Amino acid sequence: MKNRFKVLRAERDWTQADLAAALDVSRQTIIAIEKGKYDPSLSLAFKAAKLFDLQIESIFQADEDS
Amino acid sequence: MRDIKSKSSVNSISDRNKKNTKSLAIWTSAWLLSLALVAFGPVLLWEYNKVISLCAIAINLLMGYRMIMANKQHLEDLDELQQRIHFVAMALSLGVSMVFGAVFGLLEAVRLVEFQPSPSSVLFVMGISYGVGMLLAHRKYS
Repeated sequence: MKNRFKVLRAERDWTQADLAAALDVSRQTIIAIEKGKYDPSLSLAFKAAKLFDLQIESIFQADEDS
Repeated sequence: MRDIKSKSSVNSISDRNKKNTKSLAIWTSAWLLSLALVAFGPVLLWEYNKVISLCAIAINLLMGYRMIMANKQHLEDLDELQQRIHFVAMALSLGVSMVFGAVFGLLEAVRLVEFQPSPSSVLFVMGISYGVGMLLAHRKYS
């Protein structure tokens, strides 16, 4: 699954630590999500969508082959 | 622009992890000390008095229970990726310990070794494989 975490975070001038604290996860989790190495749970995805004030599908997109 | 710093919870995941790690370290130390008391107390302190030995065992079981609960709390307060990393490490540790434990127990029966295999050896395998599992999972997600 692809995501726009890094872009959205940069647009808002938030650090990884800021975003991690706001989502109540570790910075390692934000790094793994941004690198596409970890797909967050549905609840974390909804939490991120609320924080970014966006629809969930505008943050996360399924891979072409999935 | 929204100020997310004000949204950060006062009791952050980092604070919870620190608190839980400290609690786990305290109860693990208490359990280890009480285990040492059960192992060496009868020989060095109370000359195999059964009542005192039973009391020491009761204390050890209580410390063990508190350690298990502290570990459970520690795992529950981790975030979802950290929980997954521990899950991977536990899966590896359980599998390796089961395979190693089963064959290790047979070594004397099939006369490959002279000594009686000690079940506590499995604890070392469990610890090492858990550590290796944590390392591998951390590398996978970083």
